[in-house]
Amino acid sequence: MSKAMSRRLDAQIIPVSFTLNGRLQEIEVEPHELLLDVVRERLGLTGAKRSCDVEVCGACTLLVDGRPVSACTTLAFEVRGRSVLTIEGLAENGKLHPLQDAFIEHGGFQCGFCTPGMILAAKALLDEIPNPTEDELKHFMHGNLCRCTGYKKIIESIMAAAKKMRRA
Amino acid sequence: MLRRFRLDEPESVKEASEILGRFGESAKIYAGGTELLLAMKEGLVHYERLVNIKKLGLNHVRRDNGVIKIGALCTHRQLETAPELQNSLPAFVKLEQYVANVRVRQVGTIGGNLCFAEPHADPGTLLMAVEAKMVAEKSSSKREIAAADFFVDAYETCLEADEVLTEIQVPAPAANSAIAYLKFGYLERPSVGVAVALALNDGKKTIGDIKIAVGCAGPAPKRVAEAEAMLKGKGADEAARNLPRAGEVAGRAAQAISDLHGSQEYKEHIVGVLLKRAFHSALSRC
Amino acid sequence: MRFEKEVEILATREKVWDFIWDVDRFIACVPGCKEAKTIEAGKRYSATMVEKVGPFKVEFPTTIEVLEREEMTRIKAQASGADNKIGSRMKIELDVRLREQDGKTLLGFAAGVDILGKLAALGHGIIKRKADQVLDEFAQAVKERLEGDS
Repeated sequence: MSKAMSRRLDAQIIPVSFTLNGRLQEIEVEPHELLLDVVRERLGLTGAKRSCDVEVCGACTLLVDGRPVSACTTLAFEVRGRSVLTIEGLAENGKLHPLQDAFIEHGGFQCGFCTPGMILAAKALLDEIPNPTEDELKHFMHGNLCRCTGYKKIIESIMAAAKKMRRA
Repeated sequence: MLRRFRLDEPESVKEASEILGRFGESAKIYAGGTELLLAMKEGLVHYERLVNIKKLGLNHVRRDNGVIKIGALCTHRQLETAPELQNSLPAFVKLEQYVANVRVRQVGTIGGNLCFAEPHADPGTLLMAVEAKMVAEKSSSKREIAAADFFVDAYETCLEADEVLTEIQVPAPAANSAIAYLKFGYLERPSVGVAVALALNDGKKTIGDIKIAVGCAGPAPKRVAEAEAMLKGKGADEAARNLPRAGEVAGRAAQAISDLHGSQEYKEHIVGVLLKRAFHSALSRC
Repeated sequence: MRFEKEVEILATREKVWDFIWDVDRFIACVPGCKEAKTIEAGKRYSATMVEKVGPFKVEFPTTIEVLEREEMTRIKAQASGADNKIGSRMKIELDVRLREQDGKTLLGFAAGVDILGKLAALGHGIIKRKADQVLDEFAQAVKERLEGDS
C-alpha cells in the first residue's frame, strides 16, 4: 500500500493535518509533493487519475472544502487545515451517493476512467446549484472530459441525481 | 514529479519582496500555481525557492470612491461571484466566468494570470481597454503601472524581480458606457480576444469615448489607438461603417503569430469579426 | 522554421569576409552567444548560446561546422546544440552569401532553425518570433561593427 518515504536529511518537512473523507489525517510532506501523488501513492486512494497532467481533463478532480481542484497541479501542503473528499469517500456505510446510483442507472460511464472526477465535480455542482439548467450544468462540467460517452448520459445521470436529491 | 524546492511563507509584502530580492532568479512568487506549476512540471523552469504569498491577504474587492480595487490574490472564482463587480463590471465578471475551467478558477489568481503574462489569456485585454492600473510594491516603495505599460512581451511584464503585484485598480464606469469582451478559441486557451469600452456622449448621439484592446493573437495585449480614432466622435451609424477598416487596423496591431491556434491572416480576420460584434454589443448596452 | 535576412553594409566584400572568419568578433554579434572557440580553423567552432523568453531560459552549448566555402561569396554552415537541463535540442542550417553592389556589400542569411524537445511546448509562434528577433539583432550588430571600424 503506502511506500516508506526516503527523506534527505536537509529536507523541508511540512506537517499537514487535514480531514480525508471525514477522518482526520496527519501526514508530513515536502513542499514539492503533489496532492495527486500523495493521495494515490501514499494514501492508496487510486480513484483520482493522472491523465492530462495539465489541469485540463478533470480526471484528477478532488474536492477540497467542497470545491473541485486539479490534484495533479496542487501542492499537497495546500490541504493543511482543510477537508478533502475523494471518490472513495462518497458512499456512506456502503450506501452509494445518489450521483453514483444515477451514473449506474443511466449509463453515465463506459470505461470509468473519467468517472471519479466526473462524479465529484457533479457533486460540487449540485452542492452549489441544486437545480441547474442544462446550460449551467455544461458550464460547470466543461472542464471534465470523457472520451467514451459523448456526454449525453452523463448529463442525464447528473440531472436525475439532482432531481432525486431535491426530493430527499 | 516536481524537483525539490524550498517553500517560504512570508507574512508581509515587505518580507516577500526581501526574499525575492535576496534570491533573485532562483526564487519565484507562488500563489495559485495554475501556470507556474505546469511550467515547473514540464521542466521548462526551475526555482530553488517558491515564495507562497497567500498569507498576504490581498483578496479584497471594494469600491473606493470612483475606483474599483481588486486584490491581486483574488481567485477567478471570487471575481466571477463578487457582488461588488456584478453591477459595476458585468463584462469583467463574464470574462472571469469563462477563464479555463472551474478547477483552475478555484485556485488561480488574477494577479498570477497577469504576472505570468501567458499570451493566450483573457483578463489583460479587458483591463487594458478600461485603462486599469496595476499596483506593484516592494520592500521600500510602491508604484502604479498603467495597464498599457504592464505587458512587455510574451511571458514578460515590466515588474522588477522583487516587486509584488498587490492590487488592480479599475476606474468605475461612467454613465452611458459599456464594456464588451469577446473571445474565440477551440483549443484549451483562447486564440483571439477583443475588448471594447465605449461611452456615448451626453446626448447619446455620438461616441464620446472608445477604447479598443486586442489580445491572445500576439505576444501581448495591445491597445489600438488608430482603430479608436476611426470610431471616436462619430455617430453610431458612421462608426459602424468604419468598423471593417478599424478591424483591419486592429488585426494588424495584434501582431498575430501563426501557430496551432491559427495562421496570422486567420487571427487578423477574427479580430475584425470580434471587434464588430463587441462594438455592437457595447453600444446596445450604453 | 525558415528565415531570410539581408543587410547592406558600407564596407568592401573583402572586409566583410574577413570579419566573418574573425570568430570572436563575429560571434560577439550574435545576441546571447558567448565563449566562442576555434576547434579547427575554417572548419569547426564552438560557442554557448543563451536565450531567454520571459522566465524561460535556455543554454545551448553549440558546435558549428562549416560545410561549404566559396571564397568571398558563400558559406554554408550547420550549428547544433542541446540543453539537457530542459531537454531541448537546436539545429540551425545557415547559408551566408555576400554580394557586392555599388561599393557596398549585401550580406544575406538564409537560416533553417529547428527546435526540438520541451522548449517546443512554448509554442511555435513564440519561438519563431524570438529566433527572428535574434537574427535581426545579429544582422544589425554585424553591420554596425563593420561600419563602425573605418
